[in-house]
Amino acid sequence: MAPAANPSSGVQLKPFTAEDDANLREALKRCSAATYEAAAQFRKTGNTEHLPAIVLGIIERYVEPDLRAKLKDPDDDLRIIEDLGIDSLTMMEIVILVEDVLQMSINNEELRHLRTVGDLKIFIDCKVRGLPLPQPTRFLPIEQIASVMPIQPPFLFLGEASVSAHGANAKYKISGQEFFLQGHFKDDPVLPASIMLEALGQLAVLFLLEGSVGEAGKSVDPKKIFFTSCEGVRCHRICRPGEVLTLSIKPKRLKLPLATFEGNIRVGQEKAAIVEEITLTFAFAEELAQPQPEAAPSEVPVADGAQTPSLPNEASA
Amino acid sequence: MRKVYITGIGFITSIGNDAPTVSESLRELRHGMALYPPFQKADIPVKVAAIVKDFAVDSPDAEDWVFPARYTIKREILRGMAPHGIYAYCAMIQAIEDARLGTAEISNRQTGLYAASGGSPFLLSHFLERMRRLGVMRCQPLGIVASVAGTLNFNLVAHFKIKGASTGFASACASSAHGLGFAYDEIALGRQERMFVVGAEDNNVENILPFAGMRALSIQTDPSIASRPFDAARDGFVGTGGASVLVLESEDQVARRGARVYCEVAGWGQASDGYNVAISHPEGEGLRHAMENALRAADLTPEAVDYINAHATSTPIGDISEAKAIKAVFKTNLTRPAVSSTKALTGHGLSLAGAMEAGFCALAIKEGFMPGSAHITNLDPACAGLNIIRATLPNRPSVVLSNSSGFGGANVCLVLRGVA
Repeated sequence: MAPAANPSSGVQLKPFTAEDDANLREALKRCSAATYEAAAQFRKTGNTEHLPAIVLGIIERYVEPDLRAKLKDPDDDLRIIEDLGIDSLTMMEIVILVEDVLQMSINNEELRHLRTVGDLKIFIDCKVRGLPLPQPTRFLPIEQIASVMPIQPPFLFLGEASVSAHGANAKYKISGQEFFLQGHFKDDPVLPASIMLEALGQLAVLFLLEGSVGEAGKSVDPKKIFFTSCEGVRCHRICRPGEVLTLSIKPKRLKLPLATFEGNIRVGQEKAAIVEEITLTFAFAEELAQPQPEAAPSEVPVADGAQTPSLPNEASA
Repeated sequence: MRKVYITGIGFITSIGNDAPTVSESLRELRHGMALYPPFQKADIPVKVAAIVKDFAVDSPDAEDWVFPARYTIKREILRGMAPHGIYAYCAMIQAIEDARLGTAEISNRQTGLYAASGGSPFLLSHFLERMRRLGVMRCQPLGIVASVAGTLNFNLVAHFKIKGASTGFASACASSAHGLGFAYDEIALGRQERMFVVGAEDNNVENILPFAGMRALSIQTDPSIASRPFDAARDGFVGTGGASVLVLESEDQVARRGARVYCEVAGWGQASDGYNVAISHPEGEGLRHAMENALRAADLTPEAVDYINAHATSTPIGDISEAKAIKAVFKTNLTRPAVSSTKALTGHGLSLAGAMEAGFCALAIKEGFMPGSAHITNLDPACAGLNIIRATLPNRPSVVLSNSSGFGGANVCLVLRGVA
């Protein structure tokens, strides 16, 4: 019997026999019933909408019970090792079970860079559909941020950051030593709203420089990124020294010379600020490091998670 | 050389899962044998095994395992363990509590761990079968550390954060006695302050039944007489598993901590038969030399020995070899030391035996009794002349020998001495 292909997902369907079903139940016996249901549906239909439930269900089974609450409200930035306490051996157990359940093979090299739950979900989605794998999330310490950014202290408002194909996140702790707090306000230090907007803009700059934006062989020139406009800026909360801002931006449109992002800032779970659109201009660096043999895509890609296109290797790495 | 003392004991055995229960079983000669359900098949001539109670570890999936509620063991610890690993983990907890050791006293450069088990043929065969069926990349990542020889020390050293000396011993039924001997050396020579000595074995078909092939197992169907060392009708050993842990400490540590002491480890000796891979020397030559070496190392004469915990496993050849070895050592003074084999109660625990029986001897010295050699109806005439005690004596032995012999003709004798 020739394998059928699910027309919408491109997944090669193999027949799902009663024996396969029994094996699937056995393999997932320590996972939630919903995980088995999703896996059975996926195996029967090839519908990739079930993948996140399967992957999360399998991860949950390996997370110590007291940490499982973190998976209830799944955040794609949840880090597999640091946040969920999963070590590399447990990661292998997860992979073996995923391979078994989804009938696929994953090699060690592919696993090495998967840091977050989101990375894992996207990775498996791409593997199942036979799509090229996206750049996984990279974590940048402050030293690395400072080394690539055109903006420098005392005007740099990014602490540790993570950059993936889909956006960037960063933290910034208001130290209280920022020079402008002396005057903003008198005897009452409050982070200016303009600085919140600036911080999101800086994170968008970091994304342009580190987030695999660019055609093959080209990199964004750090000296040619400038602020253009913003829309829909709303502040919800006053932020004071000692608080940690969680910054997040996602690209909405990337088409030379404009890059438009949406962004938000949280303090813990509280909303601090939202920007519907923040737009920067950018340009590629003139000189080419080493032209890549592969044909470059004609348009600068934007990863949207649903259908991740081939992303060129970052030339700046 | 510095003196070395036993300051803590832990047991998961067929005759009890803690020291008080074990002590009671030894005194009352209560055995741990039963008809073992997996053996009750037409093509298996062996019917009896000595089974550890309150554990259900027959699944190859560690997450299915059931163990007493007083032990809490996380999945990430269980996944790399064999069934005997969990026995040993529990016995470690007991020994640590018994010796009243804090975390810092367990995890430091001066505290080590020597362990002995035969690995887990049960898990190894399961994982190899899975590899053949599903392919090499579908093997459990921790399948190797859970199953090969060494699994015991790998796991315990990592989970208890041992930072001193550590290794495993593989001399079959002499293994954990070797472990204890070399652990004694580490402390006596000043290399370590404290050593854990662990012996353990799986308690399952795969660990026991292969001995049926060499006709070493008893085919008795009555659990109450299947293991009867020194009896004329003995027909082989009864298999068992479990774990025993001993804590050895230097005299300095005992003084510093004000630790309670079971007894002193006064010395040890070993010698090999150089004779046969699986059959003991007919005159017990290696064991004789092991006992003589041990007494010399402890600076004791045979006259000082009150009790010998014999290796005697209830096999026709082995028990006689040991009887001859004892006769050769004690010559004119043959009736002085009481002799018994506690394997009549526990069955034979292979790598576990040495540590388990040293633990029994430590209990006997501390609590003041000598366990009888159970299940003897007609003493084998070849053992006549020895003072084989058939009932438990209420006397405190002050010097005790514990013998162990393993495949290849490896023999170890440990000397334990009461603290005045």
